[in-house]
Amino acid sequence: MRRADQVTGIVLFVFSLVLMEGSRRLPPSATFGPGAGFLPFWLGALMAALSLVLLVTASRRPAGPPGRAVLPGREALIPVGATVGSLAVYILLLERLGFLLATALLTAFLLGVVERERWGTTLAVAVLNAIGLYLVFRVLLGVSLPKNPLGF
Amino acid sequence: MEIFHNILLGFQVALSWQNLLFCFVGVTLGTLIGVLPGIGPVTGVAILIPITFGLNATTAIITMAGVYYGAMYGGSTTSILINVPGESSSVMTTLDGYQMARKGRAGPALGMAAFSSFIAGTLAVILLTFIAPPLAGVALSFGPPEYFALTFMGLTLVTSLSGESMLKGIMSGVFGLIVACVGVDAISGEERFTFGNIYLLDGFGFIGVAVGLFAVAEVLVNLEAPMQQVFVRTSLSLRTLFPNLQDWKDSLGPIGRSSLLGFFIGVLPGAGATIASFMSYAMEKKLSKHPEKFGTGVIEGVAAPEGANNAAAGGAMVPLLTLGIPGSGTTAVLLGALLIHGLRPGPLLFQSNPDFVWGVIASMYIGNVMLLVLNLPLVGIWASLLRVPYRILMPLIVTISAVGVFATDNNVFDMWVMFAFGIIGYLMRKLEFPAAPAVLGLVLGPMVERSLRQSLTISHGDLSIFFTRPISAVLTMGALLSLFAPVIRAAWQSHRKRGAQAQP
Repeated sequence: MRRADQVTGIVLFVFSLVLMEGSRRLPPSATFGPGAGFLPFWLGALMAALSLVLLVTASRRPAGPPGRAVLPGREALIPVGATVGSLAVYILLLERLGFLLATALLTAFLLGVVERERWGTTLAVAVLNAIGLYLVFRVLLGVSLPKNPLGF
Repeated sequence: MEIFHNILLGFQVALSWQNLLFCFVGVTLGTLIGVLPGIGPVTGVAILIPITFGLNATTAIITMAGVYYGAMYGGSTTSILINVPGESSSVMTTLDGYQMARKGRAGPALGMAAFSSFIAGTLAVILLTFIAPPLAGVALSFGPPEYFALTFMGLTLVTSLSGESMLKGIMSGVFGLIVACVGVDAISGEERFTFGNIYLLDGFGFIGVAVGLFAVAEVLVNLEAPMQQVFVRTSLSLRTLFPNLQDWKDSLGPIGRSSLLGFFIGVLPGAGATIASFMSYAMEKKLSKHPEKFGTGVIEGVAAPEGANNAAAGGAMVPLLTLGIPGSGTTAVLLGALLIHGLRPGPLLFQSNPDFVWGVIASMYIGNVMLLVLNLPLVGIWASLLRVPYRILMPLIVTISAVGVFATDNNVFDMWVMFAFGIIGYLMRKLEFPAAPAVLGLVLGPMVERSLRQSLTISHGDLSIFFTRPISAVLTMGALLSLFAPVIRAAWQSHRKRGAQAQP
């Protein structure tokens, strides 16, 4: 946790400086009273101060027991990474594959590959989930969901 | 007798078949979300915003409020039967509830949890009915400095009470305020941090951010640690659910006290159902004649926290409806939902939309009755749902979240917002930053900025405006006090220590 807090402190400090620089380019005051750049600038200053406090207090704290890592080990990182990755692919391909196909594929991947469920169950849940969501959102709520060139 | 007129109006709204139906849908979903570990009321409400988007505002909020207090009922089932809290607000219920189940008294524990929830939930709605209107009346006289002080206090209280590290709570709140700055400045019309992206002109979509920070992040965190569930075998027929006379004698006092305590903790901006349940458990243990038996399966240990968390859910509606200040993560998401429906919570709401306010309040009376019926005879069904593995739930949560976010504006950009804030939320969990202050900052951001800039315009840039007006002075001082309380306490303690060393 100590190392993680130090890194967080530095990252947020840099982020705050960027924010303050960006705010400085906005008008600091309007015709009457403070302008658009006023609040973000001072929020950036506050965040910079707080991240320094985090950095300093973390550095003064003795290092925690080794082995209690903040980031997950390789075993846990694979499902997390696979889930994040498949979600990104889903968003990228949603409008090309169409809602039904993309959603069924995402469900099947998450259940069958990430959670290692049996393929029979996986297939059934994937199909039912895509159709169920389609019924709720398209039929019941009237949302126009993306279609693929084949029309579904 | 205006209050009865109002309540009557409320019931007229709440008893329409559509509102009854959606109230039922809300409390049923709430119970379900409460029962299932790994999905909490914040996530449930966030996912429901897009789904209820097409309904009228009253029906939508009735549904979402039903999820909120319904989850307080369902959470106890999981705590008692498998020793895993369904929600953070039923952590305390595991202590005595699970022990009761192991002793073969799962039935009375579940029954008392439902009765206690019902009594406390209903008492809280009664208190809400009578306290909200006068409070809204007081708030009518608030100007920009008062509003700024109020939102400031709400933010500081949330950050000082949520999570373990106050510093990280504050940073999370500031982060939310920064995110709220993105988009066209409402006062000057200036574009801020939009990077030429037209979708960002309106700022980050609230639904995408909330669903990402809560639903997606929750899924990712749960992926790392698969849940272990050990069932207590028990028969749950209706007859076994009724607590006996001795149980009632032991529980009535705790239920009454925890209702009051829970309600007032809920009203306080910043402390929600979870803190209420912890405090009421601690209070009952202190007041008990046999404190050593707490944790071994005493029924007070179930009645008190379950009453307190329900009462707190009712209490949390007070600042939300009268002041527009949410007190917890879930009410912050509810506030976001209200704004999406074009309603501005605050004192004016009682005048401009009485049918909405009173309709929602009346629906809470009805919803609590529905919940009692749902949770007593049907508890066996809910318990069997616990056998559905989380594996299957996970893909459903991800896909519902993604589609829901897409459906709000029909654009893929919002899904990327959800994606990005899902990762941010995951990192925040891992680094022990609480997410609730960030959402609060995001929702309150525009209000903070407007009231701050208007105040400073009135005072020509003089900060003393926040201290010279009585109400705003009290609120600002309260906020500063809660912000610096740990620093003051630490200084005081080291001072005393030094004093003690000086005179041996």
